[in-house]
Amino acid sequence: MSETTENAAGAGAEMTLHPRPTGGAARPWAFPAPERGALPNGLTVLRAHRPGQQVIAVEINLTAPLEAEPRDLEGVATIMARGLSEGTDRHTAEEFAAELERCGATLDTFADHVGVRVSLEVPASRLEGALRLVADALRAPAFPEHEIERLVANRLDEIPHELANPGRRAAMTLYSTLFPEESRLSRPRQGTAETVRDIDAKAVRDFYRAHLRPASATAVIVGDLTGIDLDAVLKETLGAWSGTAAEPVRPAPVEVRDSPRVVIVHRPDAVQTQMLIARVGPDRHDPVWPAHRLGVYCLGGTLTSRLDRVLREEKGYTYGVRASSHVLRSSAAGDGFSLLGIRGSVATDVTGPALADLWQVLRTLAAEGLTEEERDAAVQFLVGVAPLSFETASAVAGALADQVEEELPDDYQANLYTRLAETGTVEATAAVVRAFPPDGLVTVLVGDAKQIADPVRELGIGEVEVIGA
Amino acid sequence: MSMGHTASTEDTVGGLTATEHRLANGLRVVLSEDHLTPVAAVCIWYDVGSRHEVTGRTGLAHLFEHLMFQGSRQVTGNGHFELVQGAGGSLNGTTSFERTNYFETMPAHQLELALWLEADRMGTLLSALDEESMENQRDVVKNERRQRYDNVPYGTAFEKLTAMVFPEGHPYHHTPIGSMADLDAASLEDAREFFRTYYAPNNAVLTVVGDIDPEQTLAWAEKYFGSIPGHDGKHPPRDGALPEVIGEEVRELVREDVPARALMAVYRLPQDGTREADAADLALTALGGGESSRLYNRLVRHDRTAVSAGFGMLRLAGAPSMGWLDVKTSGEAEVAEIEAAVDEELARFAAEGPTPEELERAQAQLEREWLDRLATVGGRADELCKYAVLFGDPTLALTAVQRILTITPEEVRAVAAARLRPDNRGVLVYEPTPNAADGDDDEGAGSE
Repeated sequence: MSETTENAAGAGAEMTLHPRPTGGAARPWAFPAPERGALPNGLTVLRAHRPGQQVIAVEINLTAPLEAEPRDLEGVATIMARGLSEGTDRHTAEEFAAELERCGATLDTFADHVGVRVSLEVPASRLEGALRLVADALRAPAFPEHEIERLVANRLDEIPHELANPGRRAAMTLYSTLFPEESRLSRPRQGTAETVRDIDAKAVRDFYRAHLRPASATAVIVGDLTGIDLDAVLKETLGAWSGTAAEPVRPAPVEVRDSPRVVIVHRPDAVQTQMLIARVGPDRHDPVWPAHRLGVYCLGGTLTSRLDRVLREEKGYTYGVRASSHVLRSSAAGDGFSLLGIRGSVATDVTGPALADLWQVLRTLAAEGLTEEERDAAVQFLVGVAPLSFETASAVAGALADQVEEELPDDYQANLYTRLAETGTVEATAAVVRAFPPDGLVTVLVGDAKQIADPVRELGIGEVEVIGA
Repeated sequence: MSMGHTASTEDTVGGLTATEHRLANGLRVVLSEDHLTPVAAVCIWYDVGSRHEVTGRTGLAHLFEHLMFQGSRQVTGNGHFELVQGAGGSLNGTTSFERTNYFETMPAHQLELALWLEADRMGTLLSALDEESMENQRDVVKNERRQRYDNVPYGTAFEKLTAMVFPEGHPYHHTPIGSMADLDAASLEDAREFFRTYYAPNNAVLTVVGDIDPEQTLAWAEKYFGSIPGHDGKHPPRDGALPEVIGEEVRELVREDVPARALMAVYRLPQDGTREADAADLALTALGGGESSRLYNRLVRHDRTAVSAGFGMLRLAGAPSMGWLDVKTSGEAEVAEIEAAVDEELARFAAEGPTPEELERAQAQLEREWLDRLATVGGRADELCKYAVLFGDPTLALTAVQRILTITPEEVRAVAAARLRPDNRGVLVYEPTPNAADGDDDEGAGSE
């Protein structure tokens, strides 16, 4: 830092400096406690009233994991999820889209390893109309042959775009590296060209009939519910969906192949190298989770965390590198796990030095641990930021739906803050070192192999394999 | 400081209100109370963006924005980030054609800290700015450019389209990220001069929204910002006025290693702040704003020539707004066939206008987008700043959605007829080239 002082106006006036303010007393805030209930058809309902939130968020969890897809028709859960909004017993596909947009609503669906998620957002005044459409989509989807055909063609069109995207490409390569071929986890969530092209309306209807039932579904409804008779609305909408309970799909145990190695996906002339450095770690049922969350934040949660402090703010190698965890499987039975990853992209010509520095950060962390100050700052951020992160209805609904999906109790998030505050530096250090051990990581790099392969081989972070060259 | 006017609670979204005040040094302060959640948002808009940059220094406004996080007189190193996050807040800054904004959302009891931090860098940034942060952030920004634009398929499309709709020499001809050569050329003295010219209290609006005590907040604003000297050294941006229509179609064919053919186009549209801009937004929404839009129905559902098709609008206040069409082809479909269909749909829309149902849907979509933007204190603070800086009155933000709801089908038709014409667009066509070195693995097969 320079010792000279200048000011905006040049010569003359200086602003008056004041000492840094210390802040007042924190005002009480708690993560909303949802009210849990069920409809006569067995559908579980969680609701939370959030005054002032005029856009209502509805998240519906459907217990249809990707593991339930037939091996030769992978992607069928995705096509089914998308097909839900392609017409019902009351509307054609075009009419359905028009009616939904007339409500000012957005409807998204996504099929993931843990299940299918349907997300609706709609202004409170039009909740009933939109919920009726969503209920139709779940109760009586038409899955018209010509629309399914189009969804399949569109899905095939999307695949090359995903492969051309360095971040997506890195993720797909990581899954196929980390998990054995026989595991559903090793293959793309939305199927490959080979499996998607064989999906037809019959396959979609079969998957729907086998897995979508009200008794195994949960609707989370959050927003300003003032003046809305939600019970009456639900009775008329999601309450009209009928069906018997389905056999739950219990996922098979997975053997993780996380011995250290490097896979480079050759992308000729790429100006940056996309990095994804990963292994498998705990899910949120594991008692270590609060320590894990704290430790991973200290490593790579923000611009002032250990990784960016060196790679971005000291060296300028990157726009930003983050460490995070994504739950892949979770159950009260305790067999869950998540994908732990360090992600970012670095300029091609500094790929070797950037990775060397990244590993040095990990080694230093393992050798010396976190400091008390780092731990304190992380707790203050993770706990303090809660009221900001959950301002909107959609953020609250999303967090509640995640809990349901992961078989966590409804007060999980609310209690997490107390647990974070009780976690010490030693536990946080142990958790993050276990999460990212310097000698136990799988590295995927998407970049120009001709320029980066040799420098990466010299690092000794695992045997290097180049694919797509 | 003088008290400003208070918005009527009628006709504003959710009954929100805002008051405007002005400190003696020219800093405008906008306050809006909302006690539902114990959070407070601070947002500062400086009236400077990439349109103020000069030839050879594109990207300087954005690079400078990064330097604003590198410390100031009483804040060392990354202290802005450390102190805000350590207080449980979140923060960032962004740069666009027309402005640079900085924002923090804080737990309400930490509001004063955010004001102190913003004041410290507004008043004393240059006492901390040095070569080391300049060199470091230059590299960071060059990596931002690589990551967001140069290393992704179609990543430079926006830059190309912008250059087509705003001619060489126009202040909006280049985008805020700037060119690599200009980022390399920027010097520490350029950054210092930029700060001295544009970063002054009388060239900024400070907005605070949320669980606040307005009197206390105004007193803090006076305490921390009040002694920062104002000055009139600012250079106004070059004139952004342009004819309403380009006058001829501008066209570029790009042969690149992209996964599929694409048709993109940009139209010159009315400036933000006018009824015509709202009408244009509704026209683009009806034509290409969702899965019930005309272009989606035509290209994706019926013709099956496209995998995605949509229109977006970038509202600009100091130059014509931009309407951006983006169509990615399906299978082996040809761009010419898609272009003919787009022209047919645009011509029909210009002749007939939207149906009442289409207008209702478009208005409902834009209304929800507004409700979303105003759903957080941070979103509200940003909109209040925008309307204060660009249109002189922050409370216009709270009634913007009502104005959209009064637009008639004829206004929508008229703006489509006047603007969505072939002689008022730049067309960008992508044709994939097989990369000779790209053998690719089996999953990648079929991209050609």
